[in-house]
Amino acid sequence: MPNPPFYFGLLKKMKKNNKALPVKSSVKASAKENQQKKTTALLKRQFKKNPVRIHSSGAVFAAQPEIKLAKFYTGIDVRQPHQHQATELPERYHENKIVLLVRDPWWLFSYWEVKSETVEEIKGRFKERFNGAKLILRAYDVSYIVFNGKNANYSFDIEVNSDLKNWYIDVGRPGSSWCVDIGFKLVDGTFIMIARSNTVATPSDAPSIVTDEEWMIPDDLFARLYGMGFGFGPNSPVGRDWRKYLKAFITSPGVFSVSSPQKGRAQKQKDFWLIANTELIVYGATRPDAKVKIFGKPVKLQPDGTFSLRFALSDGTHEIPIEAKPADDSDRRTITPIVSQKTH
Amino acid sequence: MEKGYFSLILHGHLPFVRHPEHENFLEESWFYEAITETYVPLISVFEKLAEEKIHFRVTMTLSPTLLSMFLDPLLQDRYVKHIHRLIELANKEVERTRFDGPFNNLARMYLANFTRARDVFLRYGKNLVTPFKQLQEQGYLEIISCGATHGFFPLLGNQTAIRAQVKVAVDHYKSIFGRAPVGFWLPECAYTPDCDQVLKENGVKYFFLDAHGVLHASPRPKYGTFAPIYCRSGVAAFGRDLESSKQVWSSVEGYPGDYLYREFYRDVGFDLDFEYVKPYIHPDGIRVNTGMKYYRITGLSNHKEPYDEHLAREKAADHAGNFLFNRHRQVEYLYDLLGKKPIIVSPYDAELYGHWWFEGPQWLDFLIRKIHYDQDTIRMVTPFEYLSENPKNQVATPSMSSWGYKGYNEVWLQGTNDWIYRHLHKATERMNELANQYGKTNVNGVTERSLNQALRELLLAQSSDWAFIIGTGTHVSYAVNRTKDHLLRFNRIYEDVKSNRIDEHWLKEIEHKDNIFPYIDYRVYQS
Repeated sequence: MPNPPFYFGLLKKMKKNNKALPVKSSVKASAKENQQKKTTALLKRQFKKNPVRIHSSGAVFAAQPEIKLAKFYTGIDVRQPHQHQATELPERYHENKIVLLVRDPWWLFSYWEVKSETVEEIKGRFKERFNGAKLILRAYDVSYIVFNGKNANYSFDIEVNSDLKNWYIDVGRPGSSWCVDIGFKLVDGTFIMIARSNTVATPSDAPSIVTDEEWMIPDDLFARLYGMGFGFGPNSPVGRDWRKYLKAFITSPGVFSVSSPQKGRAQKQKDFWLIANTELIVYGATRPDAKVKIFGKPVKLQPDGTFSLRFALSDGTHEIPIEAKPADDSDRRTITPIVSQKTH
Repeated sequence: MEKGYFSLILHGHLPFVRHPEHENFLEESWFYEAITETYVPLISVFEKLAEEKIHFRVTMTLSPTLLSMFLDPLLQDRYVKHIHRLIELANKEVERTRFDGPFNNLARMYLANFTRARDVFLRYGKNLVTPFKQLQEQGYLEIISCGATHGFFPLLGNQTAIRAQVKVAVDHYKSIFGRAPVGFWLPECAYTPDCDQVLKENGVKYFFLDAHGVLHASPRPKYGTFAPIYCRSGVAAFGRDLESSKQVWSSVEGYPGDYLYREFYRDVGFDLDFEYVKPYIHPDGIRVNTGMKYYRITGLSNHKEPYDEHLAREKAADHAGNFLFNRHRQVEYLYDLLGKKPIIVSPYDAELYGHWWFEGPQWLDFLIRKIHYDQDTIRMVTPFEYLSENPKNQVATPSMSSWGYKGYNEVWLQGTNDWIYRHLHKATERMNELANQYGKTNVNGVTERSLNQALRELLLAQSSDWAFIIGTGTHVSYAVNRTKDHLLRFNRIYEDVKSNRIDEHWLKEIEHKDNIFPYIDYRVYQS
């Protein structure tokens, strides 16, 4: 069961309690608001084309993507080997369908498919009346009602291009229920529905107004519990109104945290750089059955009697004692290179 | 007498990555690195504590996909090869760095770590489920389950899909641990009001929510996140404490960013001479991480100082002390404010410990020891233990939420990955159709196998990891391919079964490739 919408009954309750709780303005949106919605939806479309990465600071949620991505970090971003290209998924499933998903308290996502036969059929049915018809999404606020197609609390239209297949809908109403139709709107205003979506409920972006009588919690006390640890930046899960509201209450309940003093994690930097290291390669050869020791430690010979070792060099003087003995220990040869390095 | 409870949850999960078709598959290293850097170190810490009879209670998810990989003979053998290669590299590094004191110490440290990883792995007959199971039976760990393939519940499309994720996971858990899981980790902590009823049906007693999932519950929760709430179904929901989360998670304020700690992004796979390191990177000559990382974070610039194990260890001890100090202040404050003992619920990704935060397992070791020896203000409990002691809690309906960036579904539903859902939902609908059509009749063995394989493919396509990776914009192609491959395999089975033209040879091939959940029953999709 979806939660009852936030704004129903809230006004009443607020008046009664005379508390300064935030209120979402009105249930019926004006034509102007409707226009704004359209504009926002258009902006959103732009945003989708040119996604902007919003970098956050401080919010607890911000840390996780990098850390979680570390699970999948192998050091390379683009891989070549064994990369097969998966075949494409079907373009369409040949059905009239529209589906609604919740993105967050303020936004829904909708995807749809309209059969071309259906479009042709509608064209044929309405003939000239179809001229200038527009494909639209009609979103209905169906909070707290049994929706019969006509009794929505409020609805608005979004014009969609026929080549679009999905849309993010800015409903801006936490704690409300929605469904959406796709269809054609004729010039005379007639709406021809093609498909109706499932119903979804946006989550609340603030504490519930329902407080059990017996368990009544004073706002300031709750605010102290509520505010603990939340960031109130742009990434906060808390809606704007409550963020403002809380700031009045929260003086400093969460300041007992004293973490480490550092100022944050360095990301990989891409500026100019130079690294230079030196390594020393010691190589040589002896009889394949001989025993060779370097620093007194046995070295494995290649089948042809050669050997090769490498050492990272640091500044200073280093002696490298090399000793070889035949299998029967009847002889012994030593060579000790002395290498020194100085770095400026 | 304690003034509050502390519940630590480690969420262990990786998507199912297993490619028998290639000898050396890059993404399998996610799993191998997790074993070496996280799971073996955690097992070692826990075993040592148990051996010394130190009280601790840790709750741990072992996701069904992770468990399946732990139990898979092919991956087990490949890990042995992998760790032997690393031991060989570490041995060479010990030689190579002979003149270079700090680096020589580091090479020796890695040699010891890799050798220990191999020894622990072999000691348990290559099966790391065994030690976890033992620790659970000894009462130290409470192992909980998770969505079968970590599907993101709010976007799966319907309750049947959620039910299958839960039921398959719970059955899988039972087959391994011999009893039902008491707790459940909602993948990505993502709650939708459809899901607690399903948990109830499967005998689950509790799950976790991000803080606002509880704080925005209705009616308003009297104790905030510091006591669980009961959903109408009777399943308890514990809310994440943000204060303690932030101290560990945050990249700005969190412990893991300390300059003395090991730098994650510098690896010898990239730093050393190509010819020398070639046998230990990708066979096609592409440099990749090896796991040997020689530097500490040092500071914000590219200049890095060599890592010092001892300094880092001391710092981890400091940080454990700081964490405990803060929990004491928090609990004392809350105890007075609430008039009852609060529970501080701190969930973390298991791989934060060891893989990302190299010193994490040490920190945990210090923390548990300090809690055991130095204080009695807080007590470690598992959520089930808490519920047994505090059975009476407020009833409230949680709010849809997740622990992803911005707190809701956007990470898994944005411009780059939203195309997935059209196809996932279609497959869900078709799976439902198949189950209803064939579930009540007797079908032949090959059809039965096809239907079960169809469900495996659907589940594998549902992993939230693919949408997550695609959403972050790096390493995208593998995740895109996995999503498409499983969906395409599903679609083909659907068409083949419907038209009664099953290609048995091909079926066998994908059963071999995607061999997760051997005892799966597609009838879970019946409605």
